[in-house]
Amino acid sequence: MNASETVATADRLDRRRGRLVPLLIALLVFAALPALLAGFDRGYFYQIANLALIFVLLSASMHLVTGVAGLLHLGHAAFYGVGAYTAALLTSKLGLGFTVTLPLSGLVAALVAFLVALPTMRLVSIYFAVATLAIGQMLYLVMLNWVDFTKGPNGIIVTRGFELFGVSLSGRLATYYTVAAVVTLSVVAISRLSHSYYGNALRSIREDDQCADAMGVRTVRLKMEAFTLSAFFAGVAGSLWAHMTGYISPGDFKFSESILILAMVVVGGLGSLPGAIIGALLLILLPEGLRGLGDFRNIMVGLVMFLSILLLPKGLLGEVSALRLMRRQLGAAWRSTGKDQGTGEGIGWR
Amino acid sequence: MFDPYYLQQLAIGLSLGMTYALMAIGFTLIFGVLNVVNFAHGEIYTLGAFAGLVLISATAPPIVAVILGALAVGALAGFSLERLAFKPFRRFTDEASLKSRAMRESTLLSSLAVSIVVREALEIVFGSQMRSVPFDYLINTPVRVGPVILVTGDFIIFGVAAAMLIGLQYLLTRTRVGLAIRAVSNNPLGAKYVGIDTDRTIITTFVVGSMMGAAAGILMGLYYGAVFPAMGFTPGIKAFVAMVMGGLSSIPGAVICALILGISESMATTFVSSGWSDMVAYGFLILTLIFFPNGLFGARRERV
Repeated sequence: MNASETVATADRLDRRRGRLVPLLIALLVFAALPALLAGFDRGYFYQIANLALIFVLLSASMHLVTGVAGLLHLGHAAFYGVGAYTAALLTSKLGLGFTVTLPLSGLVAALVAFLVALPTMRLVSIYFAVATLAIGQMLYLVMLNWVDFTKGPNGIIVTRGFELFGVSLSGRLATYYTVAAVVTLSVVAISRLSHSYYGNALRSIREDDQCADAMGVRTVRLKMEAFTLSAFFAGVAGSLWAHMTGYISPGDFKFSESILILAMVVVGGLGSLPGAIIGALLLILLPEGLRGLGDFRNIMVGLVMFLSILLLPKGLLGEVSALRLMRRQLGAAWRSTGKDQGTGEGIGWR
Repeated sequence: MFDPYYLQQLAIGLSLGMTYALMAIGFTLIFGVLNVVNFAHGEIYTLGAFAGLVLISATAPPIVAVILGALAVGALAGFSLERLAFKPFRRFTDEASLKSRAMRESTLLSSLAVSIVVREALEIVFGSQMRSVPFDYLINTPVRVGPVILVTGDFIIFGVAAAMLIGLQYLLTRTRVGLAIRAVSNNPLGAKYVGIDTDRTIITTFVVGSMMGAAAGILMGLYYGAVFPAMGFTPGIKAFVAMVMGGLSSIPGAVICALILGISESMATTFVSSGWSDMVAYGFLILTLIFFPNGLFGARRERV
């Protein structure tokens, strides 16, 4: 058996396995989990599942900007809040339904992100981090203090749950399926973005932005795009949250939430999308599992974050192993095609 | 223009600025001068305040002993913070990794994680509500100076801040320890090659800076009469803003900018409701980063 045949066999094996993992995940999210939830049939479990899914989306969107593009973002929760407030205000003031507010929340959050990114995007490293912190806090202050518009600390009651073209989806199982569908689609979109040439360009900015600039990568523009896209997905998550809980207040979007999302990405492994998802699940489900410990839940978040930085600097599923996993299991895009079969590797990820 | 009301607002702003300056001095020493990204300084401040409160409620010592106790706790906290959150990440000695972004960001995240743990631990031990300081220890007896009213605490804070500022400037520019600190911040590896004990220098800086943070915490506790686990967050942000505005490495610059910040905030509250006054600091931060990336008083930096 010569080299090219070996490659071809390995490739076929890869292809066969490549269908397995996404299928398993889809089965888990759309069949096994709902079955379990319906079996227990307790509102609390549904709530945890939905919360975990929303934070998976938040963590995945943070992964795009902090993990892939390497911009330390300390104000992510504010864009989540912008999305949630857009959905809540559109529903309560204009009576619009979920099908309209979902994309609009994303777009408004993206627009706000674009506007604040215009002046701040040329800052680097710690200065950028602090600028995003300031922006996040400013948005939070607006939510808290613009009482006429946002009802301030009293929060807003969202009267309409999920619905699709007039069909109400506000039952427990239907809510779960709506959240799961939106989150899954968004995560797939983020995965396609971060595992592509586009994602590679972002990674080159993270590694050395001056070098990337010199090589012809339009760093400022790409950074802005990543920042805006991540805010879009955070806004989508905010809309899900608003329609799911039916009540939002500024306390849901303060600085500590940004830190929680950051901790998820860091614990999972910066630059690794499966890691970000695992981190989100860990940091949402672990405190819930430890509910008996009561007050120690928040301290666990800090401890998990500290220990993972100290002992697993690459995170639970580091970027390199995550990329290998993604490459083998999930994507067909960068499998070698007929043309370059003999060369062994494809030319990378398209 | 010279309405007594505005003079009073100015005085309030100056004393507010002084409280920010008190915090900013220690912060700038660690963050700006030593060039170590430290997000746990606010928790040192809180620890100092709680140490003072515990001392007061346990033994009711004279106020000087309270401050000395807070200083001791601050020194210990600074030492442990450096050992826990910073030392483990300095495991390489080559220049590239010492200056690498990955290391700086990992210490940023580790200090952030430590600060979460400390704050939550304090909440578990002391509860998250404000705890009031016994009345005898408060330093807010009103003093009338011409048309405006100040409190004794303003003078104490002014004195302490001035002493810290002058002491630190002397330490940094006139002593061997200060020389070592500046050498390490400039080039850690070079400092090591010429025989400076970099580890010890970094620890010294952390201890001195954290003592100042703890002193600021207890003074603020006595000044406002309330101590609570989340009290370090806002002053920490304000100190950070003052430091960035002042140009990172300049301690006098940070103090001047803290005063500017305090005055602007107190003036802003005459026009808008006090809930918005925090906006001033964040606005200043963004404006400084955009228009004066080197800070108002700082030396040139390569990239911001």
